[in-house]
Amino acid sequence: MAVSAAFKADLLGAIPSLRAFAVSLSQNADRADDLVQETLVKAWDKHESFQPGTNLKAWLFTILRNEFYSQMRKRGREVQDSDGLMTARLAVHPSQHGQLDLKDFRAALEQLPEDQREAIILIGASGFSYEEAAEICNCAVGTIKSRVSRARTRLQDILKISGEADFGPDAIATQVMGSSAA
Amino acid sequence: MTKKTSAEEAGTRRRPAMADPLGPNSEIGRKLKQYYDDLVSDEVPDRFASLLAKLEEAEPAPNKD
Repeated sequence: MAVSAAFKADLLGAIPSLRAFAVSLSQNADRADDLVQETLVKAWDKHESFQPGTNLKAWLFTILRNEFYSQMRKRGREVQDSDGLMTARLAVHPSQHGQLDLKDFRAALEQLPEDQREAIILIGASGFSYEEAAEICNCAVGTIKSRVSRARTRLQDILKISGEADFGPDAIATQVMGSSAA
Repeated sequence: MTKKTSAEEAGTRRRPAMADPLGPNSEIGRKLKQYYDDLVSDEVPDRFASLLAKLEEAEPAPNKD
């Protein structure tokens, strides 16, 4: 069966959200766009397995997420240590004292493990319900809830620290070293 | 005095805010949306529209079955 014009239009319309999710997951703009491209190709190929009337965005997010983790497995987890990530992470420290700006937040988000990051993004930003997020991540609703809760606590911890004046570059450097060595 | 412990505040409040810890009353929730909306509003490169156009061209002609 040919891909309908409506399906194509819906795919086009979903691209901004897909890109946002892809960047959130991969923390790398180039890789994110590759993920989106793969997602579109896969969605196109298996459009017949999409059930009209169900949530297309959730379906696409599922494809994108699977693609992300499968690429990550292939790359042997070097994803987390990409140059972009390092640069951004190092960029936490010169920010203004006290003021929580977007840059600080982005850097904090990057420090979360992927499972927590994706959970808090899906629930807190993409507008999915816990049930939908559980389906996208192929896990139990309770798992999503606990990941979101841990992510939130962790972000609060990180951001509280980064807002303090005595939080210098050394502490960040230590974290970066620690995480890249792990 | 003005230093309220956010954990305590969140913990004692039994309102919808409790049910939605990432809602507009939460600094994390606000930043999260700001971060994400920023990404969503990013301009979409042309490559995606041309990709879909290419996929469409590659579709087998519907009359050839």
